[in-house]
Amino acid sequence: MNKTVLAAIIVVIAMLGFTYVAVGSAGGMGGEGDWVNKLAVLGAVVLVIITAFVVTKYVRQMQNDTAGGKLADENWDGIGEYKNELPFGWAVIFLGAIIWAIWYFLAGYPVNAYSQIGEYNEEVAAHDAKFEAQFANMDDATLNAMGESVFIVQCAPCHGLQADGMGGKAADLHQRLAEKSVKHVVMNGSSNNLLGTSMPMPDRNGLMNTNTNALITDAEIDAVAKYVAGGLKGTEGASVFAGACAACHGADGKGMEMVAPNIAQMSPSMVDMVLHHGKKGAIGQMPAFTNLTAVQYKALDAYVASLSKK
Amino acid sequence: MFHWLEKRPFFFAVAVFVVIAFAGLIEILPNFAQASRPVIGTKPYTTLELAGRHVYIKNSCNACHSQLIRPFKSETDRYGHYSLSGEYAYDRPFLWGSKRTGPDLMRVGNYRTTDWHENHMKDPAAVVPGSIMPAYTWLFKNTADIDTAYAEQLTVMKAFAVPYNKELPMADGSKATVALADTVEAARASALEEAKVIAADMKDQDVKDAVAAGQVPEIVALVAYLNSLK
Repeated sequence: MNKTVLAAIIVVIAMLGFTYVAVGSAGGMGGEGDWVNKLAVLGAVVLVIITAFVVTKYVRQMQNDTAGGKLADENWDGIGEYKNELPFGWAVIFLGAIIWAIWYFLAGYPVNAYSQIGEYNEEVAAHDAKFEAQFANMDDATLNAMGESVFIVQCAPCHGLQADGMGGKAADLHQRLAEKSVKHVVMNGSSNNLLGTSMPMPDRNGLMNTNTNALITDAEIDAVAKYVAGGLKGTEGASVFAGACAACHGADGKGMEMVAPNIAQMSPSMVDMVLHHGKKGAIGQMPAFTNLTAVQYKALDAYVASLSKK
Repeated sequence: MFHWLEKRPFFFAVAVFVVIAFAGLIEILPNFAQASRPVIGTKPYTTLELAGRHVYIKNSCNACHSQLIRPFKSETDRYGHYSLSGEYAYDRPFLWGSKRTGPDLMRVGNYRTTDWHENHMKDPAAVVPGSIMPAYTWLFKNTADIDTAYAEQLTVMKAFAVPYNKELPMADGSKATVALADTVEAARASALEEAKVIAADMKDQDVKDAVAAGQVPEIVALVAYLNSLK
């Protein structure tokens, strides 16, 4: 018997021995394992035997075989090359690769090319379509919940989770106008596009009190600021309001279309204008928010407008 | 020719490199050249903004804040349009960052304003409940280095042809020009003019006084920079 074959048989027996030590009776050799384990062990044994004998075959072939055929003309330091026929399988693979390359160059790459931005666009389009479909006809509770969640993400960093402006860092959204804001607007005028048109409000040098036929005074500004901030209730400041403000903002403060905004309460349309154009006033500047969808604007407008009515 | 190459390992290696690199070069180089051009609407930094950028780097803001919005819906919903290569055309060095302890700041100028930054730098937790960002109170006292910013502007204009004093097309079809002063005195004056506009929107009396006295506190420069991030 050849030494190589002997070595292969020794290796097979050794590996079977190791397998038995490792899995023992659980592997089914003791007759206790289930049939899945038995099959697995049988497969392992077959694999070991096949491997051992295939390796043996090639080792023996290397030991014994000699090459033959016609040598090519070139040789390099005495090392030559036989002019053998190209194996059929190689030729098929070679030609197939050429055909595949032509397909890939002309159709495969241009048509199927991956793009990160393309995937992003598809993802966004799919999400938007789903979002539009899901919230096409919202009831008020859903609208309110959406408004609240958008508020927490987009507005709370300045207006606070309670929408109270966090101690004067932004407008307190529970009231239409703070006293300070009314004063600022009357003193300096305003041009915040609240109606969607650039209809500016004049500063104090353009505000006549028709009751006194004179420009509005400091005392009157204080009074009317309290009156407006208080929700247009009571009597103090009411006459100044009637004389100086009502001509544009209306006797009830609810504004007039294309002329002056509602200063009695928040309205969804006004909130929408502030979101789109931003705002600059007594406290500071609010940036415009342009990154929302139409449904989100609707929800946020309604939610913010509802805060002041509570 | 192949016979010749086969006998010369060095030139064979060069030839292999050229063949392999060729496909990469024709795919990468034109795309790279195209993408690294400034996006329409990108402007070089003004003197004050650049001084603010130096403050940003000096305080290692980029250690916690990235400036790179990736093309994922969750990111673009929060921060705005994903970043494009050309938007960094005038950033030297770029401040992409790789770690987001805080949020991305690539477009912070779109949704935060001067007074918010003022409140936030003094006491971050007061505006962002639970924020772990420390207060940067010294920004209100230290003076920004306008001269270095001006020197950098001159350098990048000469070395990299950054288009100062040239009309640039904007996204809405208009033209904009970022002026660069001829002398360092003029640069200080124009930075102070910019600073006055920002200080007018701030509440800190020390900052207002410093700007009125001709000084530019670091916070003003930093806010100018942050407001320019759009």
